[in-house]
Amino acid sequence: MGGVEVDLVDIKVMSDKALKEFLRKNAISLTVYEARKVVELIGRNPTITELYIFNTQWSEHSSYKSSRSVLKALLPTEAPNVILGPVEDSGIVELGYINGERYGIVVSHESHNHPSQVVPYEGAATGVGGIIRDVLCMGAKVIATADPLRFGNPFGKNKNKVKYIANEVINGIAGYGDAVGIPNICGDVYFNDSFDENCLVNVVCLGIVKEKDIIHSYAPKNAEGYDIVIVGKATDNSGFGGAAFASLILDEKDRESNRGAVQVPDPFLKNVLIRASYAVFEEARKKGIVLGFKDMGAGGIMCSTSELCSDGDYGADISLDKVNASMKDLPPYIIACSETQERFTWISPPEFTKTILKIYNEDFELPQISLGAGAFVIGKVAKSQDYILRHNGRIVCNAPIKVVTQGIKYESQKKTPKRKFKEPNLKEPKDYNGVLLEILKHPNVASKAKAYKHYDTSVMGNAIIESGYADAGVMKAVNGSSFGVALKTDCNPRYCRIDPYWGAVNAVAESMRNVAAVGAIPSAITDCLNYGNPEKPEAFYDFYEGVRGIADAAKHIYLKGTAYPVPVISGNVSFYNESASGKAIDPSPIIACIGVLKDYSKAITMKIKKEGTTLFLVGGRKEELGGSVYYDINNEIGAVVPIIDFEKERNMIYAIIDAINAGLLLSCHDISDGGLATTISEMILGGDAGGEIGAEINLDFTNLRADKAIFSETSGFVFEVEDKNIQRLNDLFRFYKLNLIKLGKTTREKNLVVNKQNKKLINLPISRLKEEWTKGFVEALE
Amino acid sequence: MPKTPNIAVIYFPGNNCEEESLKAVLATGMDGKIVRWNERRGIEKYDGFIIPGGWGYEDRIRAGVIMAKDPVFDIIKKEAENGKLVLGVCNGAQALVECGMIPGLKNKVEMALAPNKNPLISGYYCTWIYVKSTEEKNRCAFTKFTEKDEVIPMPIAHGEGRYVTKDKELLKKLIKNKQIIFRYSPKDGKIEENFPTNPNGAMYNIAAICSKKGNVMAIMPHPERASFIRQLPDSVELKNKFIGNIRAMEDPAPAMRVFKSMKSYIEEEIL
Repeated sequence: MGGVEVDLVDIKVMSDKALKEFLRKNAISLTVYEARKVVELIGRNPTITELYIFNTQWSEHSSYKSSRSVLKALLPTEAPNVILGPVEDSGIVELGYINGERYGIVVSHESHNHPSQVVPYEGAATGVGGIIRDVLCMGAKVIATADPLRFGNPFGKNKNKVKYIANEVINGIAGYGDAVGIPNICGDVYFNDSFDENCLVNVVCLGIVKEKDIIHSYAPKNAEGYDIVIVGKATDNSGFGGAAFASLILDEKDRESNRGAVQVPDPFLKNVLIRASYAVFEEARKKGIVLGFKDMGAGGIMCSTSELCSDGDYGADISLDKVNASMKDLPPYIIACSETQERFTWISPPEFTKTILKIYNEDFELPQISLGAGAFVIGKVAKSQDYILRHNGRIVCNAPIKVVTQGIKYESQKKTPKRKFKEPNLKEPKDYNGVLLEILKHPNVASKAKAYKHYDTSVMGNAIIESGYADAGVMKAVNGSSFGVALKTDCNPRYCRIDPYWGAVNAVAESMRNVAAVGAIPSAITDCLNYGNPEKPEAFYDFYEGVRGIADAAKHIYLKGTAYPVPVISGNVSFYNESASGKAIDPSPIIACIGVLKDYSKAITMKIKKEGTTLFLVGGRKEELGGSVYYDINNEIGAVVPIIDFEKERNMIYAIIDAINAGLLLSCHDISDGGLATTISEMILGGDAGGEIGAEINLDFTNLRADKAIFSETSGFVFEVEDKNIQRLNDLFRFYKLNLIKLGKTTREKNLVVNKQNKKLINLPISRLKEEWTKGFVEALE
Repeated sequence: MPKTPNIAVIYFPGNNCEEESLKAVLATGMDGKIVRWNERRGIEKYDGFIIPGGWGYEDRIRAGVIMAKDPVFDIIKKEAENGKLVLGVCNGAQALVECGMIPGLKNKVEMALAPNKNPLISGYYCTWIYVKSTEEKNRCAFTKFTEKDEVIPMPIAHGEGRYVTKDKELLKKLIKNKQIIFRYSPKDGKIEENFPTNPNGAMYNIAAICSKKGNVMAIMPHPERASFIRQLPDSVELKNKFIGNIRAMEDPAPAMRVFKSMKSYIEEEIL
């Protein structure tokens, strides 16, 4: 075993009790078992630096120690359109061929839940910053971000804290994304009590790269003797222990001491770093140089450099004295493991290193832009499989590199929890107008304009459909080509509370419906799995069921045109989302679906476009109101969540995509939160709530009681068709063995009218719909 | 052969609209290049300059202030005095006001772009609005193809876009000098001064001001994000008309006239 030149921590002689005390005193989250495992794996007592390294690497956040085997066993990650599965910083799915060259969409999806609960502005901002680095470091042009958010009850007992966190998170996303200049193209927001003490802040980022230009997160072939170059902000002590912190349960009384684990965002420096990195990409491509490039996220320099070298089957020899630190006398383990933001690592052949240094340090003047920032050579890629860190000229870490990077694994136990849900027995409402308005005002349904209008949704000039206008955001993908990319995130927490399996299935299906509703083909999904404490068998059961649900949905709603699943290409697991009192959040497998449009000009929005057209429904109504908004406003949750019939769901999605691409639909909206009546109301209003065309529909197509018909959240789509296209539409839906239901007409009268057996159940002016729909979310945040 | 107008889009550290600005320039048939703030040597060769949006120098102290102090601005100022074109969009507009080029009556800072006043969202606000062309075409180098009273859709994306001044006479002078080029307006052109028509509380609904000579313009909304049909939202009928027509999607949208006008002006007055 490799020798070191500093003191060792004599774990071997310590009793379990003494060891436990030692770990606690030094803020090391390793268990006694894990600390002894370190001794076993490296063949001697570790240095304190090595102990901190394993503390980071074996955190749940970095090692996926509880989740890995489940993910690997269940999730489908292969399909013909996968360019890179979930193995590096981002996954890559095929966009298509342009002038004979294959292009990929780079996708990353992560959580920044705990930092956002403790310091919401910075937590959310650094979440955006980190996800952009993950995509950029694949050699991609970054084109869009998205933010699924979950907050506590804004009207409940913790309302002040909840509102504060929600507003600060939104400000943090805006503050970072707006300044760095990447458009935010979609997201979703849900509120409920289960997130009172543990909000969820997920972030998604998209990029575009030619397949041949991908830069991998590992040292290339023949890299022995290559330089290890770090670039970006000067290293400080911020975020030290961040990965370990992400794997703790939050206790309000530790709030102050946890703050130090949160990183400090610098979107200004990132803005310059992105452009300088594009310039490096361009030079390297011109000269045909193959590089390794990786984000510095969890675990800082240590994690980034060790994984880059280990994944190329090399070791590393690094001098921490060469790191541009902005604080004096930082101990080696802090330099190595701090999570200072806005940094990357390059693996570069020595002859190209000077080009990298020139671009960052001279052309883009990083040292002048941010104190101590710049690009610096800190070490070499080594042939021997050891990970060596030197500090003050002495070796402070010398461990087999695969031991550092391979992590640790646990087989967690799962146990079916005892949960009782039952259906309420609600009387049919007398005032349907009042019920619909209350649903439209519900913060989970109401317009989220107050959030997304705080984000830059049009920067870069490539947005085709911006946030809010349609079920998914759409971007033009590549200059000079007609390809478009659609993106949407989904997961209804109340469905998952009732049934973690069907909740996850619904999350996948809804995200696919949303992408299909603009005309895009669902081409890949990513999952960010937000759950409670995996050491509790009930929580682990929820996790397992969620993953099973995602896998089943992805496998049964095939990639259009193939019999392959829609592949899962990237993701993240966030455990320990529970309050100090031990209450877990609603299981939240948040799904992002990436859609491809061959011709972005065909993409349509949800707003009704013309008077006198016909509104159709596909997806008959069923009594599936468990977890619905209708039950929520009645203070019920119910038991029967929407069940997805995979074959029918697949056919609906395909039929909608075909209909839109054939130009048969004027507008389209999927049915989800709030049910059919909400869907039609939102189509009347449109994303800008400026719609002026009404609609009159009839419920005689169903035998369900009217409230169940219009408020059940069974999956489906509503769409607008001109008379001349109805015949072709009929043929298309017959081909897919789907029943096309005629709902009614769009009208010159500025009202929503819903009839059943010649009785007007709902008759509301558009102005009333608008008033409630635009008010609900604003009131939740005020 | 006549020379092609050549535009420098200046990237200050922190700007983020340089690419789409260049795209709009190139689509008119002009030449152009993104030039870094520290590549100022020789930029006199360009016929016009665009200062794009973003957060130049992190908007330290106040939006646009540090950019206005960058040595590159001394050159741009001089070139503008010689009649070359300068278009400042959003953060670029803030810098033009902070360096005194806009409105440019007293060779000092006469106005400010104050934090938005907006009942829905305080701070940064991004949405589609309409601006109305206030003066006859040919009044300035940026509206040669825009009729007086024409209404054009563009997005705004800023936190400090409220034109204000302490000088009580200034607004009158600007109106008299015909320097107010665009005002926030509803679609029908019947201007009212309250939210949401006026998205940031700017005095007199001012969205863009030009210099007295008309060769410099500071505009808060983003014409470069509204220059192609594909960029428009579904609230603009023009977009809906061309759904499914990929070629039309790349055709110019009304705001492209700002850049087309620059081209025509340079060809006629500078080259």
